[in-house]
Amino acid sequence: MDNIKNQQIKKQVERWDLFARISPTLFLLTTLFLTIFEIVKIEYAFYVGLIGFAVTAVTWWWWAIFTIKYLITTLARASANLTDVDQEVADVREDIRKLKNEG
Amino acid sequence: MRDNTFKIIKAATNVTSGLSMAALIVLGVMYVSFTNAFVFNNSGISVTNNPVTGDQINFILEGSREHKCVLTRVHSHAINNETGEIFDFDFDKKVYLRSDDYLGNATGVVDHQWGIPRPENMPAGVYEVSLYSEFDCVYLLFTKAKVQMFDDIVLIIE
Repeated sequence: MDNIKNQQIKKQVERWDLFARISPTLFLLTTLFLTIFEIVKIEYAFYVGLIGFAVTAVTWWWWAIFTIKYLITTLARASANLTDVDQEVADVREDIRKLKNEG
Repeated sequence: MRDNTFKIIKAATNVTSGLSMAALIVLGVMYVSFTNAFVFNNSGISVTNNPVTGDQINFILEGSREHKCVLTRVHSHAINNETGEIFDFDFDKKVYLRSDDYLGNATGVVDHQWGIPRPENMPAGVYEVSLYSEFDCVYLLFTKAKVQMFDDIVLIIE
């Protein structure tokens, strides 16, 4: 279950990375082309950019919050499991020491 | 794709994306500042030949202009302080006294003086003049129609 979720997060990070690399340049070039050739008014392009920026910022913010929450939960569980393993290893070591003393 | 080529492409997209983002932010801020700017800053209009005794009323406009703007429409009228009667000024008959660029688009300090014929049947008294002007302003890629009004211009007719 964790592995599937981890893979999903990895894919989402890759998609964000691609989006961050492409979208600013693509939007800038498209806007320049459309406004220079007077296909779209600069005012509309400005508002489209503003709305796009706002939607991206809000989406990223919530995605980041949920992802961080998931990572912290996973980290806490892994840490608790490691503590259990550490305790079990200590118990086994103690048992072996006792067996050796009895022998 | 070779590992080195992939790294170079990744770095190049990083740089172009950063530069594009910076350009978008700078252009956005410039656009907002342009649309919010007044046509004339620190400006005022007054009558220079108060009290007016002849047939011509002379005005002066002082201030500064940040962006290139072309005057497209202007309207002005005077309201009698006592009777409330309104007299429209005929801007088709204006004469420039000092400036040749009131309709033009020069930026910087503005010092325009012009005269308008006194409207017929305008009786003596104290008037409050208003001037409404429309401009088409241009700045880099941006264009914007703007309006600027001047109120409370005191005119005394004798």
